[in-house]
Amino acid sequence: MSPTPMPSLTGGMSFDNMMCSRCGEGFEPHEKIVNSTGELWHQQCFVCAQCFRPFKEGIFYEFENRKYCEHDFQVLFAPCCGKCGEFVIGRVIKAMNANWHPNCFRCEMCSGELADSGFIRNAGRALCHECNAKVKAVGLGKYVCHKCHGLIDDQPLKFRGEVYHPYHFICTACGVELDSSAREVRSRPGFANNDMNELYCLRCHDKMGIPICGACRRPIEERVVTALGKHWHVEHFVCAKCEKPFFGHRHYEKKGLAYCETHYHQLFGNLCFVCNQVIAGDVFTALNKAWCVHHFACSMCDQKMNQKTKFYEFDLKPACKKCYEKLPIEFRRRLRRQHEATPKKLVPA
Amino acid sequence: MNQAPVSCIPNTSKMSKTKKVLEESREIQNPELDLADKGIATFEEMPGLLNMLYITRLTLSHNKIKNVPPGLANLVNLEILTLANNHLEELPLSLSSMPKLRILNLSFNRLYGLPRGFGAFPMLEVLDLTYNNLSEKTLPGNFFMMETLRALYMGDNDFEYLSSDIGNLKNLQILVLRENDLIELPKEIGELTRLREFNVQGNRLTILPPEIGNLDMISNKSVFRLDGNEWVTPIADQLQVGISHLMDYLRSETYRILYSRYLTNKPEIPPPCIDKAKKISRIR
Repeated sequence: MSPTPMPSLTGGMSFDNMMCSRCGEGFEPHEKIVNSTGELWHQQCFVCAQCFRPFKEGIFYEFENRKYCEHDFQVLFAPCCGKCGEFVIGRVIKAMNANWHPNCFRCEMCSGELADSGFIRNAGRALCHECNAKVKAVGLGKYVCHKCHGLIDDQPLKFRGEVYHPYHFICTACGVELDSSAREVRSRPGFANNDMNELYCLRCHDKMGIPICGACRRPIEERVVTALGKHWHVEHFVCAKCEKPFFGHRHYEKKGLAYCETHYHQLFGNLCFVCNQVIAGDVFTALNKAWCVHHFACSMCDQKMNQKTKFYEFDLKPACKKCYEKLPIEFRRRLRRQHEATPKKLVPA
Repeated sequence: MNQAPVSCIPNTSKMSKTKKVLEESREIQNPELDLADKGIATFEEMPGLLNMLYITRLTLSHNKIKNVPPGLANLVNLEILTLANNHLEELPLSLSSMPKLRILNLSFNRLYGLPRGFGAFPMLEVLDLTYNNLSEKTLPGNFFMMETLRALYMGDNDFEYLSSDIGNLKNLQILVLRENDLIELPKEIGELTRLREFNVQGNRLTILPPEIGNLDMISNKSVFRLDGNEWVTPIADQLQVGISHLMDYLRSETYRILYSRYLTNKPEIPPPCIDKAKKISRIR
């Protein structure tokens, strides 16, 4: 049912066999006669079948051979829109067990018009094809390409916050079709907006000189630490022993590894034997140990000693001459015998 | 050479010297107090010492001190206490409550035991017990609870066995067991991963637990002294070629099998090799 308003016409014909379609009476000469689709009316008879008033601007709606003014027709017969509740005049979309204005019938997810593109019923909702595919993909644990809306079966390419089939893009530098190994590069460092990002194939990306972190092997886009001949994310440049980041604090290198001050000295022996602290100034090294210069002393009487002081050793401890001579004779005899047995290490040092 | 009895005649020159040192120290509030070789026999010869709370080091080596008063623990700022070469036979329990004591030297004394609870030191890093009369039978139960220890000198004592609790001393870098009577070593020594000086010279050892092979004893920062024991032939042979060969051998499957065979069929325990009767520490 799609009633079309019809223009009312007036015209002169032969009077003899003409009669009003409504009252059946003939017409007076010179009387204005309404002619519509071959039927004739007295002007006062050409009225709405419901309200008996003339048609406003001559527009009427016809239903089952009766004519109605726009208002009464709508009240009696016009469908209501399932969304806005208004009468639907003109094109009516009948779908989902209701009537709709064409621009009221929209996808429940993306709000795109469905009138011309068709729709898919999904769990009681009307969805466009793309949204339906997305819903299905999520159900399958897959992504939907943001460009072609197809399912992404292989690895997706993430770009500017959306996912795509990699083959929709080419490398910004060499133009080769990309695969999922392509790298997104922030083209304006310091700007957070990823609208500025660009895509590069792995080869071009490597050639661009973007530093790769020696620890995590990912590109470094923030601050770069350069040490041990490699680049590092600030938070990935850590002590080889305690794994805490240096964050700009001094580090010590040994055999290609970096250490914090504490662990470097702990591992490589530059802690003073007496104070057990990192030796800041000159180091006194002897007997497999190290001392702060001012902490090097006789192990028995605590008298300070220096480079020139002659000292004896037992159990790899230093003893000044005075103390050594006070040790039990039998002990000294044993020591002497021992040192004779191992002639490489001569005492006094 | 060491005259045991204290002379009856007061040695006035030495006495006054001790007091003079104390007075000078008080005047300048010197935190380091040196009283080595002053002929001191008792703490009464050092009046006011126990009130000098500011001192961080006290050196009393080469004296004739027999007893340490419990009040010494009043010196709460003391970090280094050296009592080497005295006549100590026992110690007060209070010593182990000294909150800042880091280095304690008790070498060359006559200690037959240590007080119960001795291992309670909160900060002790270096403990020198060289040349005393200690053995596993006279160590207090908590001795190996001193986790802060980085050096433990126990050479010239009378240990035949070492407690497996030694494994608790995780920070130990130096362990000297030279010239005891050790018959075997506990496998827990293999847990002392920071050990870099290990001396078991002159004992009665025949075999080594394979776990010793875990220790890093071959770096140029490590000293491992093993001679003067009665090693079984395979160990003696490896030792002849070098420490690194021995360490490799201890880790090998061959030695693991050999060791378990030794455990079931123990090698004969060698007799004590050192005549300790001559030790000065034996004087009673």
